[in-house]
Amino acid sequence: MSTQTSSAEGGFSIGGLIRRPETGSLIGFIVVYVFFASLGGAVFLGAPGWSSWLNIAAEVGIIALPVGLLMISGEFDMSVGSVVPASSMMAAVLSGHYGLPAVVGIAGGLGVGLLVGFINGLIVTRTTIPSLIATIGMMFAVMGMTLGLAVMVKGSTSVSYVPDAVTKALLGTFINGMFNVSIFWWLGFVVVFFFFLHLSPLGSWVFALGGDRDSARNAGIPTDKLTIGLFMTSGFCAAFVGIAQVMTYQAAQVAGGQSFIFNSIMCVVIGGVLLTGGAGSVIGIVLGTMTFAVVNQGIFFAALDPNIGSIIIGALLLAAVLSNDTFRALAMTYATKKK
Amino acid sequence: MTMKSRISRGLLATAAIAFSASTAFAADIFVIGGKPDDPFWSRVKKGAEDAGVVAQAQGGSVTWLGPQNYDNLGPDAAELIRQAIDQGADAIVGPDWVPEAMDPAFQAVVDAGIPLVIYNAGGIDAADRLGALNYVGAVDYKSGYAAGEYLGNAGHKNGACVNTLPGAANIEAFCSGFNAGVEATGGKGSVLQLPATSFGDATAVAQAVRAHLLQNPDIDALFAIGDADTNAAVSGIQQAGKTGQVHICGMNFNDSILANIQASTQDCAIDQQGYQQGFFAVSILNNFVNYGVTIPTREILTGPGVIDASNVELVIEGVKAGAR
Repeated sequence: MSTQTSSAEGGFSIGGLIRRPETGSLIGFIVVYVFFASLGGAVFLGAPGWSSWLNIAAEVGIIALPVGLLMISGEFDMSVGSVVPASSMMAAVLSGHYGLPAVVGIAGGLGVGLLVGFINGLIVTRTTIPSLIATIGMMFAVMGMTLGLAVMVKGSTSVSYVPDAVTKALLGTFINGMFNVSIFWWLGFVVVFFFFLHLSPLGSWVFALGGDRDSARNAGIPTDKLTIGLFMTSGFCAAFVGIAQVMTYQAAQVAGGQSFIFNSIMCVVIGGVLLTGGAGSVIGIVLGTMTFAVVNQGIFFAALDPNIGSIIIGALLLAAVLSNDTFRALAMTYATKKK
Repeated sequence: MTMKSRISRGLLATAAIAFSASTAFAADIFVIGGKPDDPFWSRVKKGAEDAGVVAQAQGGSVTWLGPQNYDNLGPDAAELIRQAIDQGADAIVGPDWVPEAMDPAFQAVVDAGIPLVIYNAGGIDAADRLGALNYVGAVDYKSGYAAGEYLGNAGHKNGACVNTLPGAANIEAFCSGFNAGVEATGGKGSVLQLPATSFGDATAVAQAVRAHLLQNPDIDALFAIGDADTNAAVSGIQQAGKTGQVHICGMNFNDSILANIQASTQDCAIDQQGYQQGFFAVSILNNFVNYGVTIPTREILTGPGVIDASNVELVIEGVKAGAR
């Protein structure tokens, strides 16, 4: 925890750069991008290529940010996978099926996310159930309720909704026919999360929570409130992606969204967040997300077998964890030498 | 009051027995199917009940037996088949979802001399193996073939099947059927396989389709294996700036797909027409039990039904009536 906060102020030096926790993620991103750029050619390097992987990165990235924060604080959130379809279904049912204004549908969808996050936080703070298990349970419960709601209201597993022009433009349009507006939302989220984690005093609480929960509580940090707040944030962000999807594709499906669970965790880990909590950065998470997206989309431009993409992502994940350990060890020895 | 109704009910029962004894057999047909609140099966059930109107007019009945859930499908469905035998069915309709679990129960139906029709799943092979009268249903391969042929005949000769679930047997059948259909019209077909990380994620499917189209500008026809994937693929085509150049058909449909067909952003949807499965399976058995007439055509195909701009209005009416 102390390593990345102290290094930010050290001025520029090669040693300082290597000690930055994001360095591994940055190198990973550059290597992967150059690799696919050499195979993908001009189309991948141009606007179509950039928009292609940025569209992917934006959605998974919006979820990866709070999932990463939770992981820094030592918790997992598996329920995001079912919050995505639950919120899009809620928005489609309210605004599409019942014809209520788009604002009501959006509020309903986001409300689902906040509520799920709140319950997750309560379970984790009030019981001794580990967050991994608690949120897996929540994921299945929400999945079941989404299916139940859809079948009860619509008698179908999909509900369609055609949003009005303003809503569509804000949440589900493609700028220049290519760049999904969610990319800009993602950038907005990145700024907010960066401020929260690295500039506001609350950020150090998150690191403290992941470092040692008991010491954090003894130091006067309201750990329960903070944990519940973080879970609500991840519920909110997952719900936001669900709503953006329904505005983009104009239909909500009961299934789907499950891929976000592992994809978001992979982005976070590739981005250098420590699985056991206490270390990580927003820039790292963003780089991890970009790396993940480049691999995912680069495969199609490089005309490789898509299964190779999964292999590369798997290898990247292992390499990321290994290099994190290496960089951390490097940072430790560097710091002691300096003394 | 109670006494009176009980007596009158008894009299009615006697009359019914006398009636059925004096005339031809009235067919009490039992239909085993999915959960009645499952959107697909609710259409099959409506078909069975509509055909049941004729059976009722002739003194028979149609009874729907469906499982509470799909958690233990094979054994549960086998149990329903045995229930139908025990309740004195004159004829039975059932899908051969899980042959290992269900075939012994179907065998018991045939051994008891009860006419049997297999529908929805199992194919003509199951009907032949079990000694059933016929098979009523769709064939995955032919559904894909219909889409390939439709797009190929419209002049779109370079097709790709968007496979979001590589390895699943029915999906592979859709794709190999699609490629065969395109090739039958003189074109060529390929498969765009998506990695497992993108299944169920509309954005991932859309971006994969878009990248594939940009990288392979010759492709002018796509086939998607489900309604959600079709919506995503349509978006992928739009983002690649190829609306109007790349044509798309997809399996199944929902409201937004019908709207897309109306707006010409999608060319066609392939439907296995569940209503027909219920309707014809019951009709075949009712006529056989009552009059001994048969349908010598083996394998009654209810699908693929092609929905395109020419019939989409009619389909929308069918949706309102609960038949599609």
